[in-house]
Amino acid sequence: MPECLAGIRVLELTGGPSVSYCTKLLAGLGAEVIKIESPAGDICRHSGPFPGDVPDPETSGLFLHLNTGKRSVRLDIERPEARALLKRLLAETDVMVEGYAPGALTALGLGYEALAAEFPRLIVTSITPFGQDGPYAQYLGAEIVTYALGGYLMLTGSPEREPLKSYSTQIEFQAGLQGLFGTMVALTGREADGRGDWVDVSAMEAATFLLGGPAQVCALTGEIRIRNGTRLIGLVPRYFYPSTLRPCRDGYVHAHTNVRHPELMSVLMELPRLAEAEMLETAAGHADEIDALMDEWLAGHDRREVVARAQELRVPFTEVFRPDEVLADPHHAERGAFVELDHPVAGRLTQPGPAVQFAATPWRVERAPMLGEHTDEVLGRWCSSAELAALLETGAIV
Amino acid sequence: MTSAPGPRKPLAGIRIVDFTNAVAGPTATSLLGDYGAEVIKIEAPDGRQPNPPGTAPLRPGAADEPYNRVMHFNDLNRSKLSLVLDLAKPAGRQRFLELVQVSDAVIENFSPRVAGNLRIDYPDLRRVRPDIILLSMPAFGKSGPYRDRISYGPGIDAMSGISHLTGYEDGPPMKPGNFFCDQNAALLAASSCLAALRHRNRSGEGQYVECAMIDGELQVVAEALLDYQMNGRVQTRTGNRHPSIAPHGVYRCAGEDAWLAITAGTEAEFNALCQVINRPELTADPRFATNAARHEHQDELDAVIAGWTVSQVKLSAQHTLQAAGVPAGAALNVAELLANEQVKARGQFEEVEYADLVQPYPHTRAAFKLRVHTSRIERRAPRFSEHTRQILAELLGASVSEVEQLYEHGVTRAAPLDAHGLRV
Repeated sequence: MPECLAGIRVLELTGGPSVSYCTKLLAGLGAEVIKIESPAGDICRHSGPFPGDVPDPETSGLFLHLNTGKRSVRLDIERPEARALLKRLLAETDVMVEGYAPGALTALGLGYEALAAEFPRLIVTSITPFGQDGPYAQYLGAEIVTYALGGYLMLTGSPEREPLKSYSTQIEFQAGLQGLFGTMVALTGREADGRGDWVDVSAMEAATFLLGGPAQVCALTGEIRIRNGTRLIGLVPRYFYPSTLRPCRDGYVHAHTNVRHPELMSVLMELPRLAEAEMLETAAGHADEIDALMDEWLAGHDRREVVARAQELRVPFTEVFRPDEVLADPHHAERGAFVELDHPVAGRLTQPGPAVQFAATPWRVERAPMLGEHTDEVLGRWCSSAELAALLETGAIV
Repeated sequence: MTSAPGPRKPLAGIRIVDFTNAVAGPTATSLLGDYGAEVIKIEAPDGRQPNPPGTAPLRPGAADEPYNRVMHFNDLNRSKLSLVLDLAKPAGRQRFLELVQVSDAVIENFSPRVAGNLRIDYPDLRRVRPDIILLSMPAFGKSGPYRDRISYGPGIDAMSGISHLTGYEDGPPMKPGNFFCDQNAALLAASSCLAALRHRNRSGEGQYVECAMIDGELQVVAEALLDYQMNGRVQTRTGNRHPSIAPHGVYRCAGEDAWLAITAGTEAEFNALCQVINRPELTADPRFATNAARHEHQDELDAVIAGWTVSQVKLSAQHTLQAAGVPAGAALNVAELLANEQVKARGQFEEVEYADLVQPYPHTRAAFKLRVHTSRIERRAPRFSEHTRQILAELLGASVSEVEQLYEHGVTRAAPLDAHGLRV
């Protein structure tokens, strides 16, 4: 059975985790992804974690995760003869995903306008910190910077302390995901009218997309919602409670009331106070008291006990798991959420498998390629061995 | 039947039955609606319980239907049509199956137990429409020991490991923002729906697609999962710090709750930072001469930077640092974000008028602009049951008397029942 995107060819010009994540997901859906790497290799090859903390372009955990299902071609597109070859590939490419600073590809003759004139069916997905236009287009954008400007930073952390970013490079991941959706929208549009498109993704906007309501509340009411510690943002006294993270005997749980049956909190913890009318009507107004009552009860129980008992009552508590616990969780094993991949240098590793499970079409997850592993094989489809030898001579391919 | 004004949108011609609640599902379907799919939201007769603190201000003189002013609901359900049906009643079930017959995909995010009770399963739907796509968004999937657990987004964040990894170095685990895993799952689901449609268009084959929210979130904590395997290291919270780059932080500025994110990943950026903060001598200081040294002495370095930012206005400092070649950005609150020059220039908030509200709604479009196809959000969230008669008559061919019977028997209704069975 072919994959959903069988027959779609994607060309990736490397540009950080966002671009790599976008094309990883396209590869998972079945597109053929050709990753064009500079002679030095993708930037993620130089990011950890590494086994033994020893940097090696073939063993970066971030790279191995973000590049499953792709082929690597080592081609120096700074060189004109390499770009001429790239154009030959682009003539038979459906989607190009790139993360160059706005204008940089135009300077190389690979800007959207020039490519669209030559290849009207081509979809170009450009992922940059702030998008292709606007006053910040040429700003330098680290992930923490787009996190801040997108408004998302102000929603994480304690109100009395500095706002916090989340783990790793989440905004890069989200920008990649937005690139995936934009690419799918453009591919669908092209089915009907044969026209390509330019999907101009902004990481700052990907951060803003995560806000989930506070901007609209502000526009409609003037209320400015900010980070609220471990509690749900925007709680007012008449809202439900708990919706927070609290400590128990062996770690933390996410404690959340059953919104339709708030009285079940009292049953769960055998605390009649939690079923009093005043408590039920203004639960969030009693958040400190509820925390204190919960903490006393939680301190005598382990996470799994608490959650098992709550879930049995249909009160949606869950455990806060550590990464090692996530990896060992039988739930994920039973569902095939992780796959074991053998890499010639990095060895055997358990990696996240299908992001989505399709009943009829496979999700492709194969180990990440080594730098330039497929240069000859892929380019050999577009040029003769004499041409390849000449390119090798000039250093256009390595 | 619902031709949108203006040029063609890329998803025009696709019809989606939206059977979703809470955040992740409605976000996925509104995204598809924004780009032109016809999204028919099926609402239960007791849907949209208005919570007074969560309703938008009423325009003076407008009829007061609080259930049509639920702020969060409207935001998550723009670009859709509303059809009210009680699926527990046989006639409601019948009309639902008729709707499936003329649709391309059904998207639902009930817990597997509720979906089972409502008999929304793939074999049943395929019987009426052989090439239908059913996309489910359960929290943990429809198999495995957690299949019957219930959870909102932040509870799934907890189980994925991201809450453990988010927080101050000396503090408890934190929620990563508001509803992190909901938007994460929504983007995957909307993309997967389009991928499954492409496969159907080529092969004639529909399918069941399972977008378990936890699966999508495992993808974003992979570094911690691999570090544990490679080094036996259980990663934990490190605040705003970067594993290898320093400085990398959020620094207090002049004013209330004012903060600026600054980092410098290269020597050139660090040199520029030292110039801007009038401390050029730092580049020669052995504690800060290399990135490795800076990383080792980042407490001291952060104190120096914070000593400068504390008297700066965050936006001016941002401009100064960026002009000098230092990555920096103010932590914008939502009011500042709505007014921000970059946000305005790019137009991520697309204003849509609501007749009964004082203000137009600034709906948040996806994080990209298209240059060829049109993509503006045009359709406000539907009023409760707004399109019920139209859909029953025009799409499902119900006669006037058949429609009236559905109202009479409570299969559909014009205004929601409240939780106690009374009209709101």
